[in-house]
Amino acid sequence: MSNKPYRVPTAGTGGTVGRLIDRSQTVDFTWNGQKYSGYAGDTLASALFANGIRVVGRSFKYHRPRGVIGLGSNEPNALVGVGTGSRMEPNIRATQVELFPGLAATAQNAWPSVEYDIGQINSLASRLFPAGFYYKTFMWPQAFWKSVYEPIIRRAAGLGVAPDGPDPDTYEQFNCHCDVLVVGGGVAGLAAAEAASAGGARVIIADENPQFGGISDIAGGTLDGEAQSKWTAETAQRLAGSGNVHVMSRTTVVGHFHHNYVMMFERVADHDPRIMNEGAPRHRLWKVRAKRVIIASGAIERPIPFANNDRPGVMLSTAVRAHLARYGVAPGYRGVIFTNNDDAYRTATDLLAAGVPVARIIDVRPEPAGPLVDAAKAAGLEISAGSAICGLMAKSGGKHITAVKVAPYSTTGRVPGAEEQVNCDFVAVSGGWNPVVHLHCHNGGKLDFNDKIQSFVPRKHEDPVVTIGSANGTFDLAALMDEAYAAGEAAAGTRAAKAKAPKATSEPEGALEPLWYAPATGKYNEGNKHFIDFQNDVTAADLELAQREGYESVEHTKRYTTLGMATDQGKTSNIIGLGVLSGSTGKPIPEIGTTTFRPPYTPFSFGAIAGTQVGKLFHVVRRTAQFDWHKEAGATWEPIGDWRRAYCYPKGDEDKHAAINREILTVRGKVGILDASTLGKIEIKGPDAGALLDRVYTNTFSTLKPGRGRYGLMMNEMGFLFDDGVTVCLGKDHYLMHTTSGGAERVVQWLEEWLQTEWTDMKVFVTAVTEQWSQFAVAGPKARALLEKLEGDVDFSADGLAFMSMSEGMLEGTRARVFRISFSGELSYEIAVPANAGRVFWEKLLEAGEEFGVEPYGTEALHVLRAEKGFIAIGDETDGTVTPLDLGMNWAVSKKKADYLGKRALELPHLADENRKELVGLLTEDPNEVLPDGAYAVSSVTEKLPMDMIGQVTSTYWSPTLNRSIAMALIKKGRAKMGEKVTFPVAEGKVIRAEIVDPVFYDKEGAKQNV
Amino acid sequence: MLVITCPVCGVEGEEADFHCGGEAHITRPATENPEGISDEAQRDYIYMRKNPKGVHFERWRCDRGCGKWFHACRDTVSMEILGYYGITQKPPATLLKKADPLWQAHFEAQLKKAKS
Amino acid sequence: MSEALIITPLCDREVPANLAISMTEIVDRGMIDLRGLPKDKKFMDAAKAALGVALPTEPRTSAQNGESLCLWMSVDQWLIVCPRKETAALLDKLNKALEGIFSLAVDMSDARSIIRLKGDRVRETLMKGSSIDFTQGGFEPGTVRRMLFGEIAAMVHVVSEEPDVFDLMVFRSYAHHAWDWVEATATKGSEVGFLKPAEAPAVV
Repeated sequence: MSNKPYRVPTAGTGGTVGRLIDRSQTVDFTWNGQKYSGYAGDTLASALFANGIRVVGRSFKYHRPRGVIGLGSNEPNALVGVGTGSRMEPNIRATQVELFPGLAATAQNAWPSVEYDIGQINSLASRLFPAGFYYKTFMWPQAFWKSVYEPIIRRAAGLGVAPDGPDPDTYEQFNCHCDVLVVGGGVAGLAAAEAASAGGARVIIADENPQFGGISDIAGGTLDGEAQSKWTAETAQRLAGSGNVHVMSRTTVVGHFHHNYVMMFERVADHDPRIMNEGAPRHRLWKVRAKRVIIASGAIERPIPFANNDRPGVMLSTAVRAHLARYGVAPGYRGVIFTNNDDAYRTATDLLAAGVPVARIIDVRPEPAGPLVDAAKAAGLEISAGSAICGLMAKSGGKHITAVKVAPYSTTGRVPGAEEQVNCDFVAVSGGWNPVVHLHCHNGGKLDFNDKIQSFVPRKHEDPVVTIGSANGTFDLAALMDEAYAAGEAAAGTRAAKAKAPKATSEPEGALEPLWYAPATGKYNEGNKHFIDFQNDVTAADLELAQREGYESVEHTKRYTTLGMATDQGKTSNIIGLGVLSGSTGKPIPEIGTTTFRPPYTPFSFGAIAGTQVGKLFHVVRRTAQFDWHKEAGATWEPIGDWRRAYCYPKGDEDKHAAINREILTVRGKVGILDASTLGKIEIKGPDAGALLDRVYTNTFSTLKPGRGRYGLMMNEMGFLFDDGVTVCLGKDHYLMHTTSGGAERVVQWLEEWLQTEWTDMKVFVTAVTEQWSQFAVAGPKARALLEKLEGDVDFSADGLAFMSMSEGMLEGTRARVFRISFSGELSYEIAVPANAGRVFWEKLLEAGEEFGVEPYGTEALHVLRAEKGFIAIGDETDGTVTPLDLGMNWAVSKKKADYLGKRALELPHLADENRKELVGLLTEDPNEVLPDGAYAVSSVTEKLPMDMIGQVTSTYWSPTLNRSIAMALIKKGRAKMGEKVTFPVAEGKVIRAEIVDPVFYDKEGAKQNV
Repeated sequence: MLVITCPVCGVEGEEADFHCGGEAHITRPATENPEGISDEAQRDYIYMRKNPKGVHFERWRCDRGCGKWFHACRDTVSMEILGYYGITQKPPATLLKKADPLWQAHFEAQLKKAKS
Repeated sequence: MSEALIITPLCDREVPANLAISMTEIVDRGMIDLRGLPKDKKFMDAAKAALGVALPTEPRTSAQNGESLCLWMSVDQWLIVCPRKETAALLDKLNKALEGIFSLAVDMSDARSIIRLKGDRVRETLMKGSSIDFTQGGFEPGTVRRMLFGEIAAMVHVVSEEPDVFDLMVFRSYAHHAWDWVEATATKGSEVGFLKPAEAPAVV
């Protein structure tokens, strides 16, 4: 291909060519590593044209050379990579990339280069790649998937490459509300926004392009007697300055959801990355709640597929016209126009006026007529009416068009006549317009087929959403303005604005003739491909093959051929695909149906989706007041809910296991302290507080005396355990409930729910106080000695504070609640102090305990200590399907109380079943072998899977206290199997055998905690 | 994203500001009389739910506002919310008339039971 | 409790230079969570006697008595915000006044962190983390609004307007998250300028 530039000179065009570029300002950029320059105002696509580059990528499946086809976001072909290194972003449409100094862009899907792509061999072997190729070919043997098929497919397929490092830019999200959201800033959108704004509504108007006005600059027609551009410029300025309209360019409305929740993607800095240095985010995702939505998203021109219609240089007619008018570029030196409507004649006359020869207008209609046709004739343009392109000739491996073949044709079929060859190097094609109905469909909007435009238009939506203008199939300028003002007025609820509407005129246009594809002459499909979906390389032959193979439903055809499933969501292809199916089945298009358009309208960045939530904001981390102390002490962390708790505190070069063992032995032999602040704490007060507790716990609490506590279990109504903890009586009708750390919020909501919705007569208040307190366990034989060293008025003696009792007082100058409870089996207290005093108090405990060898212990030591005692942990021994009876906790399940949550469910047959799994202890045959967590027990080990599973390990640890491994498990009828052996087949054929024992491994009589 | 107004505190918010508690008007048999509940009655209470295509009654909580539960009447097809009423109240007749026949049957059965 | 013991959640945080608003942690306030029934005249009277001002019953409002504020939290819940050193005495007074009345008053002075935000960008910053429309009416001084901020439960109390001073209140375990969030979204250069007069966009 020649590298001659396609920039059109301005001389003699009267300023109508290249209006958006500034020829006095050159902008340097790179394409595939090579330096080029364009002008300020260029897009990457126009700058590449200007540098004579028409091949910008290789196709997805056949690796055919591809060029720019469309305009803005409807471009299916020219997907490029923009940026380098960690700022590389793949799959950006070259038609939407605004040129800035230093822009680096690369072609995709090509190896070794876009000019010479080895993958093009797929194209030569294309008869081997029919529709459903992957389904048909890569079926067996299964082993081939991993080693052969997948690597090949991964190498050959896929669009673009990922950036090679973390994204250094910032992104954010913004929430807002408005009365009216107008989607699209063409004349219809601007008119609707003006009408709504005049009525006092708060309006957002968003357009995905850098400029407002849609295609008003090239659409012909006048507003108030002048070119449309004048009115659009004035209106846009008025709206932006009004203070009740938020005007947004470079902002794509990507999705519409229930109740008019709309998502918009704003490209804040892509066009000028320098503003990021001043603090601007790169992208911003808008979450808009709009009372009303007006969709003025316009229409997308559709091509007419003909043989090899994907060759670089074949473009949509309006795209050719817009590139010429806006950027002063043409796709070649000599064009032909292929059309079924009048609008394409504008392209022909515009090209000619700019000095670009047009060899022929090929119109499928037998008798085109009207002012636009007359103007073309007057300009001396040659027209072949009743004809179609039936072939395309190209050289240099398809990269350079040399001619098209034209034959007589009618939309009802081929007519006899001679073929003619017309020399040209580009083709502008127009097959009519498809309203952009995507947003209307995102949230369930339905469509109707409109015969006049041969496409789908929106049916009334259930949400307050209306579609106007060409998106609604209204193409006549005067009718479109009427519709737009009416929609704006209706949205604002006023009737004053319409008077200000400009008077619109436009040239009358003749009707279009539907044509879904123009067949090639010669043997069917011999080197001729009629592309329907450029992005996924789907051809007319693929669709017809799918039909022949029985994929009759359009939804099946879509999935089988991948029509419309690429990142462009079928913008240029879906309706044509339906037209082809209509032709091959003989059914009218409305009977074929349409497939769903799903969000997003165009792909948008992961950065915008993540927004602020990256790095330290990636996930919420809750900190206790002692967080910094743990951090400074070198703690490793365990996430519990959103909390970070200290897992263990390795010293020096200790590994985690050594640290955990040391911490456990310190508690058993001396004294340890644990930050238990994350435990849920709920104050419960009122005349019915005791009665409430009796209904939510399996055991009785109303009999508790002030200063006493009790351990309780909570079931849901299905009879399954969901939380446990110690609740103490603070005074008359006043209790403090402790919950698990993970269950804190769940339990307080649970209590509120029952009080508000079921036991509405109960007089009880519940208030979560978790965050108010720092709470520390002080556990070990020296716990009392340590605490007695603290200054204060709390009696820690065995008589003064008996097991399962609490007292309040002052300790080290702060108010404290002291509970004598034990989760380790040792002499143990829990001290709660107000959180702001927490860290200092924690340090006091360490100071006071120094002489006893006190050390902090983490959550892992806590778990081993409780497992040695056979204490259950919610979430380990329970999984939402375990009852208290399964765990052998019948002692905590009241028989006397008439009603409490889950009681009746326990009698249901499946929960009373004697074959249920029961909690047991396990001792492995080899004491040094620690069972894997969750390991399955089987009745017998067999060669063939599956084996008969009889239970699973729920907790498993190395116990330094017993110097051997211990585990707990739920085993079918386990309690009747004491002393029996169970087998656990684990990884790589290994089998571990263990004896079923009582789950209390240490200090069975509980002597150690009662001293 | 549904836009919801809490009838208790009047705040308008969206789905994420509220918590959906599922089907409304489920009667807990044990509260009335813990004795003599059949396995079938208990099963239905715990597990069986209506799933109408159309107007439905649900419980919601004003999660990020006043924390109170209330009833909402929602069309499961159009997602329109037709009205709200108190958590201890039965649906107003105007809403019940629009509701799926499953619901009319539900309240008729309740009425019958109360009479007997 | 002696003052020396207090370590507030955000005491080690500094405000970065690139922030477009001012942000400080308020450390001298104590808080009491109060529950009771507004239709219970005995409760309302007793609370008023102890607090010196009637509890507000209009949703999302507050009442003030000198340095003490009563923030409406729910139809049966208020947050009393008062000078930290007076909290214990006030709680005592409340509990005595409410003896025998169905109610619950608890000290929550250390449960929350108050972040005071000040400047023209405050509302916009909050809208980057919350679905609430702060640009419309309904946020006059004294207004209280609970909300989902980022992913966490939070509450704002409008201290004054022009300049906007908003107290953002979050549970203490989330304080760093909230502070980090504001740091990330209130930066200079990230203005949205929502619904403010702006320059005209380019047209084709």
